[in-house]
Amino acid sequence: MQPFEYAAPASVDEALALLARHGADAKVLAGGQSLVPLLNYRLARPRFVVDVNDLPLDEIRVDAGRVRLGALVRHSTLAASAVVARECPLLTEAAALIGNVRVRSLGTVGGSLAHADPAAELPLAMVALDARFELRSARGSRTVEVRDFFSGYLTTVLRPDELLTSVDAPPTRGAGTAVEEFSRRPGDFALVAVAAIVTIDRQGRVENARVAIGGIDGVPRRIPAVENALRGEPPATDRIARAAELARAEVTPQSDALASGEYRTLLAGVLTKRALARAVSRAMAVPA
Amino acid sequence: MRMIEGGHGFAGDPRAVGGVGGHIGAPHSVVGQRVVRHDARDKVQAATAYAGDWAMPGMLHGVVVRSPYPSARIRGIDTTKAAAMRGVACVLTARDVPRNTLMTDVPGQTTTVGPLRAKLHVLAEDRVRHQGEPVALVAAETLEQARDAADAVEVDYEPRPGVFDAEQALAPDAPKVHDEGNLLAHWRIARGDVDAAFAGAAVVVEGEYRTQFVDSAYLEPETGVAWIDSDGVITIRLSTQVIEHFRDVADVLDVPQNRVRVIGAYLGGGFGGKEDVTVEVYLGLLAVKTGRPVKMVWTRQESLLARAKRHPYRLRYRTAAAKTGEILAQDVELLGDSGAYAYLSALVLLYSTVTACGPYRVPAARVQARVAYTNNPPTSAMRGFGAMQTVFGYESQMDRVARALGLPPADVRKANALRRGDTLPVGQVIETHCALPELIDRAWAGLGAPTPPRAPHAKVGRGLACNLQPYGRIVWLHDWASAWVGFEMDGSLVVRCGCPDVGGGQASSLCQIAAEVLGVPIDRISVHIADSALTPLAGTTTASRQLYMSGNATLKASGELREQILGVAAKLLETSVADVDLAGGEVRAADGRTMPLRQVLAACARMGVPRSHLAVYHAPAGEPVDLTKGSGKIFPDYTFGCHAVELEVDTETGRVRLLKHVAAHDVGRAINPMSVEGQIEGGAVQGLGYAMMEEVVLEDGINLTTSFASYLIPTTVDVPDVEAIVLESGEGLGPFGARGIGEPPIGPPAAAVANAIEDATGARVTRLPMTPERVARALRLLT
Repeated sequence: MQPFEYAAPASVDEALALLARHGADAKVLAGGQSLVPLLNYRLARPRFVVDVNDLPLDEIRVDAGRVRLGALVRHSTLAASAVVARECPLLTEAAALIGNVRVRSLGTVGGSLAHADPAAELPLAMVALDARFELRSARGSRTVEVRDFFSGYLTTVLRPDELLTSVDAPPTRGAGTAVEEFSRRPGDFALVAVAAIVTIDRQGRVENARVAIGGIDGVPRRIPAVENALRGEPPATDRIARAAELARAEVTPQSDALASGEYRTLLAGVLTKRALARAVSRAMAVPA
Repeated sequence: MRMIEGGHGFAGDPRAVGGVGGHIGAPHSVVGQRVVRHDARDKVQAATAYAGDWAMPGMLHGVVVRSPYPSARIRGIDTTKAAAMRGVACVLTARDVPRNTLMTDVPGQTTTVGPLRAKLHVLAEDRVRHQGEPVALVAAETLEQARDAADAVEVDYEPRPGVFDAEQALAPDAPKVHDEGNLLAHWRIARGDVDAAFAGAAVVVEGEYRTQFVDSAYLEPETGVAWIDSDGVITIRLSTQVIEHFRDVADVLDVPQNRVRVIGAYLGGGFGGKEDVTVEVYLGLLAVKTGRPVKMVWTRQESLLARAKRHPYRLRYRTAAAKTGEILAQDVELLGDSGAYAYLSALVLLYSTVTACGPYRVPAARVQARVAYTNNPPTSAMRGFGAMQTVFGYESQMDRVARALGLPPADVRKANALRRGDTLPVGQVIETHCALPELIDRAWAGLGAPTPPRAPHAKVGRGLACNLQPYGRIVWLHDWASAWVGFEMDGSLVVRCGCPDVGGGQASSLCQIAAEVLGVPIDRISVHIADSALTPLAGTTTASRQLYMSGNATLKASGELREQILGVAAKLLETSVADVDLAGGEVRAADGRTMPLRQVLAACARMGVPRSHLAVYHAPAGEPVDLTKGSGKIFPDYTFGCHAVELEVDTETGRVRLLKHVAAHDVGRAINPMSVEGQIEGGAVQGLGYAMMEEVVLEDGINLTTSFASYLIPTTVDVPDVEAIVLESGEGLGPFGARGIGEPPIGPPAAAVANAIEDATGARVTRLPMTPERVARALRLLT
């Protein structure tokens, strides 16, 4: 670690003023689960650290028909929230898969999304949920759709003077949702993770399917080929399996020290199948 | 199973010599008890002063500058910029080191390579041979200043071609890692008529296996503090398994050996990774140069990057068996990767050679073992020390033989198990009891009722694996250890012994032995360990040898001290020595009279009888043997074990979930059963890490796994509870018949897991670690 200046503002405006003043020399510290290791490895060398933990950004509420999470909501709070479990159980499931109890106790929703690790659970869930991000700066605020928020590996459209203050997503009542991930050890970043959201129509056919995959590319993304193959079809096991096979053709993952691209491709198919099967069975269990 | 009751089991028992009556026939009062170790309370309260906790006034911080290249020529080093930086006290390169060479002696190397005097530069001179090789040292007022200055040292490297695989290293046109060539050592065993045995076999099983580089991955990286003490003695307090490296520090600094003192702190793990020199030489150099205390703590990254690893092996086995499952012959070829320097590679290879055929009677055997230099990170000692890799080979083979013959794997092993009087292929006769059949039965039965699979795509299987692991050093190394035991005037006891405690309870076991012999309550004993100036030297905490060696030295010192004290007590009580005993911190006579120990000790002082005793224990020694003639004793004795596992395989992804693990070892005598179980549980889990996930991944000598995000070690959620089964045959050479148990439990898990995977799925995994991807490949889920 290298020395830096540090401030812990009590209000959002104060924090935004500091970010406006220090710009690219500043880093935001929330739960510290990404920034502190980067500081320790000297990969991040900020001159100024803005600790946002005192800001009033830790609320979970249902607002204008959307579930809104303050950026400082901890993963453990998200995993335990009754509102989230009722309105958006995909987030409950995703939050429970994050790291370990220590990471979940400190790590924040905003921190994970701003860090934008393509194998992390929350970015994947937000892609599946079509979430929206609220970004604020001393210059004003803007709302960014999830498809525009992540711009590449560990990068987003957040500008140096901007703070991610909240994220919101539509509830998934009436849908079945599931997250499947495969990591070398429980709590590690996933080699591949898949989120699925499925609705079944009155005829018992797939009305809509949303499938997102993480750990493959620089950002988590949807797999339209799989979604389209299911839409309007009865969700029989063999049909799900065939649709899930399409996921393998849609991905060309890289190899690293933990797994080859070839193996990640195998996992993409298996996890898509398992996520869809669970989402379908939950969707079928939803009272009409 | 022969169980010994009451402790009369071996000639070295000093109480047998003393011939004292009454209590002696009773079961041991302290030995064998689940004593809470004196160091446990401090450790759980974070009160132990580990090496990294040490700080001194005016202390500098030292950092090593390391090579980013696996193979390069150094054209020049410019330190002027770094030396001028704020807070920097000194920058050192090879030219500043009085004697820049550390030597590794490997006695007994009698084959083609010849006697080996392996060289290692303290700091690189004109060449670097592996990524992370130390090139320069920096000391500064703060750690940050030292790191900044280390970044500012300008080294002009000319990258050169390297060789990154042991097979390629032995090709005639391979780049030479050292001028003498890339073959570092070559051992051979030839016994019986191997070709005839194969010709007459009912079944021949062939297998090729590969094991990986792994890291010790101790919680505590390499760490220490050095200072110049009064009278100019260079004093280094560090985390080490070998305080005797004070001699190496003295040689490098070109000062007399008695001017260097090494103090060993309680370790946060060693596993062999702190057997070679680590920070002590660098600390000595920096302290002498600056005249100030210096601290050096290697980061996790540099420890994973550059510290010596376990040797990756290619193992080729051909096994001949009769229809009954009787093993007729083994034909084994081993090839290890030494990395860039020799360290202890030749000896590691010797352990592999001797253990290559496992704990079985093998009448005909041919073993050829080679180890080669590469530009990979160096490899050296690690728990199991070459007797580890071979388990994966011979125990995979045993299962395949059983499978080929349609026999239960447990039965095949039991039928071939070594017995007392059998001869190993190297020519060493097994002189003690081998409890393998009972260990196999107990481990297998310990798995209990089968676990049903959790899902339609899951399959459950079971496997077992046995091993033998030497304890104590090679007999021709003439090993010895010394210990001092003495009473204070108030009857409290002090044990002094140069033994480092790596966390296995080494120091506490010495207290239990002294308490047993001298009848002193264990909380009345203080033990001082691992100080090269103030404790009698006891040798390395390696080779599963400390209980055996320092335990025997403490036993001997305690026994002789007992005789001194009882002689005086008998005089005071006007009775014979045979009729007095030490117990409960007092002297007890056969007729019921007692005398406070304090009174006897005062009399000792008056009569000029010493209240302390220094004893040296010499292990049975032997002469070097020519392995090919197969006629010699290599190790003092062996510890035998058997592990059984149950696991579930996800047949769609290759993920293996471990369900049960039972680990049975004959430890001879459990001095402290809790410490024994701790060694077995820890060894089994470390062995499971080797089996399932641990791997230093290298790409042309570049280490891709320099953090715990990519170098994976098992956590509590990755392994099942290990059920330790402790057998006590009383047959060991250690105190009270104990055997070494530090290393043995790490050996069997990998083979047991491989055998269970085949049991579950029919697919054989021959490469470690058995990652989900490798299992998927064995299941043909990948092309």
